Amino acid sequence: MNHSITESLNRSISSSLWGDAWRQLCRDRIAVASFWIIVIYLAMALYGEGVFWYFHWQDMAPPYQQTNLREEYLAPSVFRHPFAMIPRVNPGAVSSPAIDYRGQPAARSVAARFRVGLRTLAHHPLGTDNLGRDVFERTVQGARIAFQVGIITSCIAIPIGVILGCLAGYFGGKTDDFIVWLYSTFSSIPGLLFILAIAMVVGKGLLGVYLGIGLTTWVNLCRLIRGEVMKHKTRPYVQAAHALGLGPFRIMFRHILPNVFHIVIITFSLRFPAAISTEVFMSFLGIGVQGEPSWGIMISNARLRLWQGVWWEMTFVTAAIFFIVLAFNLLGDALRDALDPRLRTSER
Amino acid sequence: MEDNLLNVDQLSVFFRTRTEPVRAVNGVSFSVAPGETVALVGESGCGKSVTALALTRLVAKPGYVAGGNIRFAGRDVLAMDPAQLRQMRGAEIAYIFQEPATSLNPVFRVGWQIAEALKLHRAGIAVRAEVISLLNRVGLPDPERRLNAYPHELSGGMQQRVMIAMALACRPRMLVADEPTTALDVTIQAQILDLLVRLQEELGMAILLITHNLGLVAGVARRVNVMYAGRIVERGPVEQILGQSAHPYTRGLMAAVPRLSGGKTRMIGIPGAVPNPARLPTGCPFHPRCPKAQALCRQEDPIETIITEDHRVRCHFWK
Repeated sequence: MNHSITESLNRSISSSLWGDAWRQLCRDRIAVASFWIIVIYLAMALYGEGVFWYFHWQDMAPPYQQTNLREEYLAPSVFRHPFAMIPRVNPGAVSSPAIDYRGQPAARSVAARFRVGLRTLAHHPLGTDNLGRDVFERTVQGARIAFQVGIITSCIAIPIGVILGCLAGYFGGKTDDFIVWLYSTFSSIPGLLFILAIAMVVGKGLLGVYLGIGLTTWVNLCRLIRGEVMKHKTRPYVQAAHALGLGPFRIMFRHILPNVFHIVIITFSLRFPAAISTEVFMSFLGIGVQGEPSWGIMISNARLRLWQGVWWEMTFVTAAIFFIVLAFNLLGDALRDALDPRLRTSER
Repeated sequence: MEDNLLNVDQLSVFFRTRTEPVRAVNGVSFSVAPGETVALVGESGCGKSVTALALTRLVAKPGYVAGGNIRFAGRDVLAMDPAQLRQMRGAEIAYIFQEPATSLNPVFRVGWQIAEALKLHRAGIAVRAEVISLLNRVGLPDPERRLNAYPHELSGGMQQRVMIAMALACRPRMLVADEPTTALDVTIQAQILDLLVRLQEELGMAILLITHNLGLVAGVARRVNVMYAGRIVERGPVEQILGQSAHPYTRGLMAAVPRLSGGKTRMIGIPGAVPNPARLPTGCPFHPRCPKAQALCRQEDPIETIITEDHRVRCHFWK
């Protein structure tokens, strides 16, 4: 009897708001799958970062920039060599060794044949573009740019939204009026126009992308945080914090903000794909990334011969964008379900 | 009167509305001596919580202190700047609120919350050890593990004990307990009250006990102020208030306390409800509900009448 009480106590002690949310998230298979897709992309981005800095440091042209005009418009390797894994036997020669698809003597052992086949497939696995650059390497680099854009614009937009939202919601009055006026003004300018204007001011390139997206996407978060802080401001625990002699900023950021932080996390996971898409669009228009293979640049590039049947660059880049955006959106929805107590399933 | 810890004189707290201000607290005066327990009794909506909050100017907008004078330990509270007020809150006047479940921050472990109070007002002490000793002092079993608990993992009684520990963290000279037991069930109520009385003896702090339950007051408070519609209608030592209550409202409150003894007497409520402070009746604000009301009550607001040296009442017909 006593034992079981202690045990249930132990179990309940370890549970918390975040613990519960985490457990619910782990039960959601789609969320877990989305999470692993994002992890794979993140690994790609980190690998891309490594490649970029290694070749930058060695002062060499990185593989994704190496042009090879003899190999332009190569189809994905599976289409070039559909039977790479199946060694052919030369039917004419009786005693001569089998030769592989390139007419060279084929390896004899199964393992060696397998290796040769793999090496064949690994040569431009997703084909090449108009300058003979490897589509796979460039897609990986695109993931690197995409994550940079997602993270850096979040680092700009989220602090602005959180701080202004907290100030507006907590102080109310004139402060609130000013901040509401500010974000209403921002949100009344068409987003893309604003981004274009910023890009024009700071010049083409990644800085323009960061600032353009970062400075336009804080409005929604600010609105949400403002509303939640207004709601929490009247809760007894805030009054208790006042009665303890805490200052307004400590109450705002140490006591109220952790209570509304789930909104920040959800917003982060939902705005990340939006930032990626916006970057793609900007780069497509030619005001985004310069000289680096971002997904937008690649799509813009892939247009050139699409009508002649060069489908692979467009297809793989679009698929890359599709899956990361989908994964983030699904994870964002799952996070909202897990972290928003009102939407929580009652099964707990 | 300077030997009192707290002196409240003609305190008025109004709430700004679109038309004219609502008088939530209207000329309330009372005092608390060091180490003394004073009760503020009244129905919900009579202004007792607002009075309590006004003591450290915690009344939130649109409420504001419209007049009067509050002196705590010889200092004028209404003249303090925000930094001085924060110094005083928690460190000298601490609060316990009605609903412990919502008065604790749901996302932090209780140990952290108590530690925060400690760090704020008492720099340079061994925080963890002090938190454990505080939790021991308020009678929370197994404090070393409980300080890692989140508020929702504790029962109501335990939550209120944590609130008390937080309030005691800075050794305040006065504790304002705003309906500390209302949200708890009866057996826990008694435990919490006993705890407050014991802690008061140990620490020598004054307690301002705010409640709607006159029965609660009997064993705890020394002096009682009965509030109705934003003013004090009767005040005096607890024996006189309970034994020879003069105001019909006090008698009504007494009759509304459930009793175990006394056989089959029925529990009698006071008919009607507390008037909206925005539309107080003319004359004595209690007259629409008063069993003794006469024509005079409708026209004239009674002034405070002295019955004995410290027993006073605001009623035309207290005899």
